[in-house]
Amino acid sequence: MGNWERLVWNQRGVLLQGLAVTVEICLIAFAVALLGGLTLCLIRMYVKPLRPLAIVLIEFFRATPIFVQLMWVTYVWPEVFGWPDAFFTAGWVALGLQSSGYLAETLRAGIEAVPRGHREAGYSVGMSPVMVFVRIVAPQALLTVAPSIVNQFTVIVKSSTLVSVITVQDLMFQALKLVNVWYEPIEILTVVAILYILFVFSLSQAGKSLADLLRRRYGLAAA
Amino acid sequence: MSEALVAALNPSMFWEYRAVLLQGLAFNGYVFAAAAALALSVGLAAALARVNRARPFRWIGTVYVETFRNAPDYIMVVWVHFVLPLLLGAVLGRRIEFPPFVSAVIALGFVYSGYFAETFRAGIQSIPTGQIEAGRACGMSDRLILWRIVLPQVVRRMLPEAINQFVSLFKATTIVSLIAVPDLMYRVSMVLQQEMKPLPLYTGAALTYFVVIYLVSSLVRVVSERWRSKVY
Repeated sequence: MGNWERLVWNQRGVLLQGLAVTVEICLIAFAVALLGGLTLCLIRMYVKPLRPLAIVLIEFFRATPIFVQLMWVTYVWPEVFGWPDAFFTAGWVALGLQSSGYLAETLRAGIEAVPRGHREAGYSVGMSPVMVFVRIVAPQALLTVAPSIVNQFTVIVKSSTLVSVITVQDLMFQALKLVNVWYEPIEILTVVAILYILFVFSLSQAGKSLADLLRRRYGLAAA
Repeated sequence: MSEALVAALNPSMFWEYRAVLLQGLAFNGYVFAAAAALALSVGLAAALARVNRARPFRWIGTVYVETFRNAPDYIMVVWVHFVLPLLLGAVLGRRIEFPPFVSAVIALGFVYSGYFAETFRAGIQSIPTGQIEAGRACGMSDRLILWRIVLPQVVRRMLPEAINQFVSLFKATTIVSLIAVPDLMYRVSMVLQQEMKPLPLYTGAALTYFVVIYLVSSLVRVVSERWRSKVY
C-alpha cells in the first residue's frame, strides 16, 4: 500500500486540481457546443441562403476526429484568425466545435419530431412564428432531446482527456506528469482511469434517469 | 489574414509529402481493421453474457460493458501501453513490452467492444422469443440457433448503429499517434518538426480525414441501406 499512498494519496492535491480544470473546460465547451449547435441548427432549418454553409460546417465538425480538430484549432487558427491565444481557449473551442456539429443534428431531429399540427394550431390562434417556436416547438423539442444532450456531455468529458496534449493542465495532464516524475505508472494511471470511468458513468446514469423521468412525466418516447 | 488563409488552403506542402502522409493514413486503416475485428468479437461475447440466463454472467457482462463504454479512449490507450505490460510482466515473471501498434489495437478494441456489445444486445433482444423456441422445437442446438436464426437478423438490424460506431472507431484511431504509432497525425507532427509550418499540414490532415470519413461513411450507409431493404 506504500506505493498507493505515495503516488496517489499524497498527490491528491495535484490530481484534484487537474480534475477541477477538466470540469471547467468541459463545462465551457458544453456551453459553447449548446450555443453553437443551436445556432447551426436554426441556420440550417430557417435561414435559406446560409443553409449550405451550415451543412458544410456541421458535416465537417462531425466527420473530423477530435484530436485532428484540436491540433488544427490550436496551431492553425492563431495564424489565420489571430485567435485563440491560449491553449486552454483552444481546448474548449475544439471540444465545443466538435459537439456543436452533433448537437445541431440532435436538435434538428427534436424539432422535426414536433408534429406539424401543433405549429398550425399556434398559427391559427394568431401566434407569430417566433412565438410558435419559443412557446410550442422549442419546449417539446428540448424534452425529446434532453437525454441525448446529456449524452453529448459525456462525449465531451471523454474527449477532454486530449487537451492534455496541448499542455492544458487537466486530470490527464497531471497524471502523465506524475508518471514522468516517478516512472511508476501502475498506480497513478489506474486510479485516474477509474476516476474518469466513474465520472463518465455517473454522468451517463444521470442521463438515463433524466430520460426515464421525462418519459414518466410527459409520456415521451426515448430519444 | 487573407494571406494566411491562402496559405492554409494551399495544398502544395501537404502534396509534397503525400507519399509519407498517405502511408500514415494506411496505418489508421490497419489499426481500425484490427481493432474493429477485436471489438466485434469481444462485443458479441459480452452481449451474449448480458442476455445469458445465468445471473453471474449477466452481472459480469454489465460491469464489463459499463466499464469500457464509459472509459475515455486516450486514457485506455495510455493505460494499455504503459500499465498492462507491467502487470502482465509481474504475473509472468519476465519483462514484457507491447509495440505501440499492439497497444493501440488492444485499447481501442476493448473500448469499442463496450459500444458494440450494447448494439448487439439491443439487436438480440429485439428477436421474438418465439423464433428461438421454434428453433429449439426443431431440435437445433443453442449455437445453431444463434448462427442461423438470431445473428443474421441482428446484423441487419444493428447495421446503421454499427456504422456510426465504426466511424467513431476510425476517428479514434488518430489518437494512436500519441503512443507513436506512425499514423497520419504522427507523420504530420514529424514533418512539422522539419518544416515548422503547421498551417498547411494540419489543415491538410483535417481535410484528408474529413473527405475520407465523410465519403466512405456516406457510401457505406447507402450500400448497407440498399442491402437491408433487399433482404427484408
